[in-house]
Amino acid sequence: MAKPEFRVGIDVGGTFTDVAAYDVASGNLVSFKVPSTPPELAHGVIAGLRVLLAAQDGSVRELVHGTTVATNAILEGRGSPTALITTRGFRDVLEIGRQSRHDLYDLDNPGRARPLVPRRRRFEVAGRLDHLGSEVEPLATAKIPGLVDAVRASGAVSVAICLLHSYANFDHECRLRDELTKHFDYVSASHEINAEFREYERSNTTVLNAYIMPIVSQYVTQLEEDLAELDLGGRLHVVQSNGGMMTPGTTRRKPINTVMSGPAAGIAASRHLLEQMGIQHGVTFDMGGTSTDVCVIYDSAATVTSQRKIGDQPARLASVSIETIGAGGGSLAWIDPAGALKVGPQSAGALPGPACYGRGGTDPTVTDADLVLGYLDDASVWGGEVRIDRDLSEQALGRFADRYGFSTHEAGEGIVAIANSNMIRALRLVSVQKGYDLREFALVAFGGAGPVHAGRLAQELHIPRVVVPVLSGVFSAYGCLVADVRYDAVQTYFSRLSDAEPVAIERAFRELEERTVGELVREGYGRSAISVSRAMDLRYLKQNYEIEVSADSQGETPDLAVIRGRFDARHEQLYAYRTNQDLEIVNLRVFATVATGHPPLPAHSAGTARSEDARRGERLAYFSETGHCTLPIYDRAELGVGAVVAGPAAVEEPWSTTVVYPGQRLVVDQFGNLVIEVPSP
Amino acid sequence: MTAVNPITLEVVRNAIYSIAEEMRLNVMRTSRSPILKEAGDLSCALTDAQGRIIAQGRDIPIHLGVMAFTVQKFLERVPASELRDGDVYFTNQLEVGGNHLPDVKAITPVFFDGEIVAFAINLCHWPDIGGAVPGSYYTTAREIYQEGLQIPPIRVFSAAGTERRVLDLILLNVRGAEEREGDILGQRAANEVAARRLKEVFTRYGRETTLACFSRFLDESEQLMRAAIAEVPAGVYTGDDFLDNDGVVNESRRVAVTITVEGDRATFDFTGTDPQLVGPLNTTYYIACSAVYYATKALFGPAIPINAGCYRPFEILVPKGTLLNPLATAPVVGGNHETSRRAVDAIFKALAPAIPDRIHAGSFGSSGVIIIGGTDPRGRQYISYETNGGGLGAGPRSDGESGCQSNMGNTMNTPVEALEASFPFRIESYELVPGTGGRGRFRGGLALQRTVRLLHGTATLTTMCERCVHPMFGLFDGEPGTPAKITLNPGGPDEQPIPGKINREIEAGMVIRIQTGGGGGYGPPVERSPSLLAADAADYET
Repeated sequence: MAKPEFRVGIDVGGTFTDVAAYDVASGNLVSFKVPSTPPELAHGVIAGLRVLLAAQDGSVRELVHGTTVATNAILEGRGSPTALITTRGFRDVLEIGRQSRHDLYDLDNPGRARPLVPRRRRFEVAGRLDHLGSEVEPLATAKIPGLVDAVRASGAVSVAICLLHSYANFDHECRLRDELTKHFDYVSASHEINAEFREYERSNTTVLNAYIMPIVSQYVTQLEEDLAELDLGGRLHVVQSNGGMMTPGTTRRKPINTVMSGPAAGIAASRHLLEQMGIQHGVTFDMGGTSTDVCVIYDSAATVTSQRKIGDQPARLASVSIETIGAGGGSLAWIDPAGALKVGPQSAGALPGPACYGRGGTDPTVTDADLVLGYLDDASVWGGEVRIDRDLSEQALGRFADRYGFSTHEAGEGIVAIANSNMIRALRLVSVQKGYDLREFALVAFGGAGPVHAGRLAQELHIPRVVVPVLSGVFSAYGCLVADVRYDAVQTYFSRLSDAEPVAIERAFRELEERTVGELVREGYGRSAISVSRAMDLRYLKQNYEIEVSADSQGETPDLAVIRGRFDARHEQLYAYRTNQDLEIVNLRVFATVATGHPPLPAHSAGTARSEDARRGERLAYFSETGHCTLPIYDRAELGVGAVVAGPAAVEEPWSTTVVYPGQRLVVDQFGNLVIEVPSP
Repeated sequence: MTAVNPITLEVVRNAIYSIAEEMRLNVMRTSRSPILKEAGDLSCALTDAQGRIIAQGRDIPIHLGVMAFTVQKFLERVPASELRDGDVYFTNQLEVGGNHLPDVKAITPVFFDGEIVAFAINLCHWPDIGGAVPGSYYTTAREIYQEGLQIPPIRVFSAAGTERRVLDLILLNVRGAEEREGDILGQRAANEVAARRLKEVFTRYGRETTLACFSRFLDESEQLMRAAIAEVPAGVYTGDDFLDNDGVVNESRRVAVTITVEGDRATFDFTGTDPQLVGPLNTTYYIACSAVYYATKALFGPAIPINAGCYRPFEILVPKGTLLNPLATAPVVGGNHETSRRAVDAIFKALAPAIPDRIHAGSFGSSGVIIIGGTDPRGRQYISYETNGGGLGAGPRSDGESGCQSNMGNTMNTPVEALEASFPFRIESYELVPGTGGRGRFRGGLALQRTVRLLHGTATLTTMCERCVHPMFGLFDGEPGTPAKITLNPGGPDEQPIPGKINREIEAGMVIRIQTGGGGGYGPPVERSPSLLAADAADYET
């Protein structure tokens, strides 16, 4: 029999490197964790592969990797000295930004993004285009040699180029790039990174790309060399912020596209999971110790945003639209000077951590409240290393209870309710505000604390169903396996819809397609394997926010009437009205995808359908509906397909606990997912 | 304080804040005007049935004192008994908690069980409200009638639909009717969503509990503000500052304040401020209040949640007939964001000796407004309204920000690429100006300059820029920042200075350059650290 061939997904986190491997022939899925190896994270990847191949005699066909190298480099300020070349008269655009402050009242810290390129390394070149791309003043090519010398003298290792209106005509930037490439290893031209109007955002995105280009390039190259040394064969891919994946070559040129790599893989896994469960819309809810990530999946696709901040740095890039809430299990409860009970945003972090860790924390956290309420187990050793002391949680909560004349349980419940209301506020921002009706959604809960709180949040938000996924311990690694190769391209194209020529738009789309498809073909993908879809960013005349709608059409040229209809409908969904006003086209977008053969979730075969056989004990708990009650505890590993657990109950596994609230009912589906049905109020 | 379960209180608080935040985003996303959508020159709030602010979504300081009074003054004119579920009123009348005519407020009563329990209100800066010039910034106006349409509280929507004739009356009197209608629809939609969500909160928690939470929010903010005031040494502090001119009469005008801090309360008395002006740099009592609210929040308690409770410890006295509280019919358009900042500067100067470890030197206290209106090559009318930031004042711990909107203003710029795509302009430079920040232990922020060439036809140029004469003050031996200046055809044979407040015609080929002001320095320049001096030399010499 032939040896198995694997597609391997590897997600490198701060503590653990998660591995999921899929045997292409048999469909078997293997998953495990190995310790991460900072600062040389590439070593953890190799270690993961060695463990896999030691256990399974086979080969690696493809390695798909989720990485935080780019994000960490930006957040920790470890990028390389970068220079910026701009149009003459505009070198300070990067510093002026949008001339506004984040905080108007904090005079010492108004919270503007610090330019990553100081003024001494910002250079100008004469030459000017207008917004249609026509040349107003030729590029001062005679000045380029002097410019190269000046950039080199500035100590820059990487160079960003951002000229005005370069989205409309690449010529000036290309000529500069070609000259600079002769002298510098790392050059980023703005039209290649983000061919969209709005010079500050495009400049900053290009600068971010340049800033992390050396560190990401070196990382990817190191990984390739290590893989070659192992002689595994196989192809390396890196997960991008948009949930698709890209080749090492593209990663080296556009590292900014990896800033949301790991989280995007988690969203890809959720999307794939919901699709197999036959659920169209979901909200992911990844609640950890200090923060919580949420993302909407709509019509079986992760919602994507074209703008995000990395730390305080704004960037224009397509990324799954994950919103991070600064609250988690470690969020601290406190009393403000006016006597109000607050939870977060301060967190106990890992040290001292919640009071129950016994590491010196004396203020109660959400986790302490969960423990006192009986939602978490006080006897087990969390994550294999943390020993819990429930008395410490009680003491911490007791002080709060005394302050307000509550019982300890009431204080605990209050802290949980307030933490939940913070979450609800954030969940509303990502959903209802954008026109989504949560009653049509499922809440997909993971992360250490997600499944503890999800049932209650779903009830408050009128979400009918909670899904606690199978494989949640290695969810991002699994997500790496279900990502497609996907290249997105955007091109600003200004026109009123009424003035627009379908033939001209078709031509512009085809150019854009050639750019993305061509890139894939050069990387060795067959044209027939590549599927392409199109979208347009449109707005009513003089609006300045665009809505992206599909521009796919049946005919030879785009059907502008159909596209208009899609826009009006989406505008109405988002903003509750539509008008007969003319539309403006702002951007054209193309998405080129190569499908990779998504591994289906294996059928769940372990455990028993008789949930009472999976019951392993009980403890006292407290819910507002029941007061004190006995909470039956089930072992997730023992629950088989079709098992039903009625709330109140808890289902435990090594990394998290799922709470089934009173009146709710949990069912194990064919894949082993825990599905909680939440009755509507 | 009102007794409310602290848990319910927090849960309701989160729900209420979330509604106010969403209102603001809804206006920004649904309106049509770039100044609303991109620049975000708008404010949203929820008030109780008496019109007291309960929550304000990402507050714009200039609007603080306005929002605090609009619904209260509205109710003095339109009795609550006349209001019906589904009504949306619009107003920009100065006496109704107004500031200047372009800021139009939409007010929606929120009913629960047949009774008004709250109001949703939003204020949007319309790019045009009619009057003598496109953009409604008539810098030589002598009467409010020249500044545009005055809208007394009037119902534009009801449960039965649109009051079409009222809407038409408004649209007929403003430029850009189509765009304005979009803004009006956006303002209405935001209030409607807020009203619906607010009703859900009342349904869920009950009328009594929700109202008890409201009054508790006010009490808490009051308590926090009182505690913050108590930390300021008691005393009487005086400060003043000067307007360059009023746009008509070319003489400096004084804004004066005497601040009396006594325990946990403070009085701001603007007696000594000059009489009302001939030109449009007057402003309203509500804007004087905004200046006090802004300065006290920034200096005393930046983290205190904004609502009517914060304002209870303050008494604000502004003599009638002064430029901060003029008689009806006085022009006011520029006072909103210019004179308001003179009041802030006077307050900062007054409080400097009291709180030297918190105060900051003078920031470019002007929005640096440049408006250009004309007809584009396709025959379509256009109005470009741009604000220009400057240097912020240095503080006890840091240099001032450069090229940034200051204290009470926070409008964003329009991208150069968007300007050139929308208007027949070429922007020839947009950059910082080294040497404009006042020297000091900490340096004032740098001014910026923007150079605009008109490419087609003729256009009306409007400038509304303060601080061309009086520089940004330094503190504790820090030097003042460089004043602003505006130049026509810079570097050309026909170069000429342009006053900070004019309306004039320009024609294709002409170039306008605005250089804003630099921020004031803090502390003696000789105390500047060698590392900061070295960074200055490397980055900001040329």
